[in-house]
Amino acid sequence: MRRNVILSLLLIAVFVAVVAVAVGVTRPPSGTGVADSARTSSAVPVVREDSHVLSDAGEGAPVLVEFLDFECEACLAAYPLVEQIREEYAGELTFVVRYFPIPSHANAMNAAVAVEAAAQQGRFEDMYTRMYQTQSEWGEQQDSKAPLFRQFAQDLGLDMAAYDAAVADPAIQQRVEQDRQDGMALGVQGTPTFFLDGELLQPTSEGDFRAQIDAAVNR
Amino acid sequence: MQPSTAEPAALTAPSQEPGAPVGRVVGWVLLVCGWVGLSAAFVLLVEKIRLVADPSYVPSCSISPLLSCGSVMSTPQAELFGFPNPILGVAGFAALVTVAVTIISGARLPSWYWIGLTAGTALGTVFVHWLIFQSVHRIGALCPYCMVVWVVTVAAFVAVLARWSRAGALPRWVGDYAVTIVTTWCLVVAALIAVRFWDYWITLA
Repeated sequence: MRRNVILSLLLIAVFVAVVAVAVGVTRPPSGTGVADSARTSSAVPVVREDSHVLSDAGEGAPVLVEFLDFECEACLAAYPLVEQIREEYAGELTFVVRYFPIPSHANAMNAAVAVEAAAQQGRFEDMYTRMYQTQSEWGEQQDSKAPLFRQFAQDLGLDMAAYDAAVADPAIQQRVEQDRQDGMALGVQGTPTFFLDGELLQPTSEGDFRAQIDAAVNR
Repeated sequence: MQPSTAEPAALTAPSQEPGAPVGRVVGWVLLVCGWVGLSAAFVLLVEKIRLVADPSYVPSCSISPLLSCGSVMSTPQAELFGFPNPILGVAGFAALVTVAVTIISGARLPSWYWIGLTAGTALGTVFVHWLIFQSVHRIGALCPYCMVVWVVTVAAFVAVLARWSRAGALPRWVGDYAVTIVTTWCLVVAALIAVRFWDYWITLA
């Protein structure tokens, strides 16, 4: 029994050591030191040139950024509130959407790619809305829903040759992946995650969420 | 004269001891595994029923995108035989508890009883490995209660193997290092999970 305990503890110790070393090896860019991590987090922009701006309140307005996953139920739950806020603060608050497809959602990437392909034809918002409206039809399933998303594109009257080419282009997946990588570097752990003027928002309630936005727009 | 009669008894003791007390130890291990497995399977079944009744229900074990029963329970793999897997767990672990109590009672069990127990725990172990593979590599989410079931199923199987080792049907080291075998197995699964979800862990760090 004692030999068992000693051996087991030893194995666990070795395992922990290997994992610790692996973490150290795979993580140098984002956390080798305080100064370094501070630099990388400031180097990763919360909004990029190619990020999708859904509501534009112009220069100087506070910016609300949402990292979202079209297959995430919590994002769907937040969607009506986000729409309400966009309406209420129209002209005062800029709202930007960034992709954060969670790997455990089989169609999160497909959905983001489809939305991005629609965005290339100037129909980001239509496809974005469509994804949320239909999430219950395609979410939480393991098979690819790309054909269904293609159907959505067709319904929107997109140029299908351009859509198919865009979806097949690895660059589009990289574009989505870039958002996700930025999100991870910024500390996004789940969806939806909001940033208000570059600061991570952790609202405790809808009221709190509004209060923080109110403060930002000086209401 | 008394010392000399005591001595043979002491000498024979080591050869007899492994049989009876180890049988008891195996019984206790099986009892704990059975109870823990039964509790986990029971909770999973109740959560599954709630989820079926209300698709928007968020199970108590859906903690994060990765640690999420909801996404695992609503997959086709969660109903391999056309009905929810936890039904098998509730029945199987309840049977294991009964068998364990019988062993602890010290009853002399025929070898077919042990063979049946071995077959049962072996089938459970095969099924659990399929579930692990599906969960880690296909579904991409982990369900905490399911993971409890994985561990106790394997521990029960190894305990039964240890008993065969003591009975001489398997090499001695199987029984000697049963605990180490279970630990190693857990670490291998942990390593698979660590590798598969490396990105996710790194973001938490």
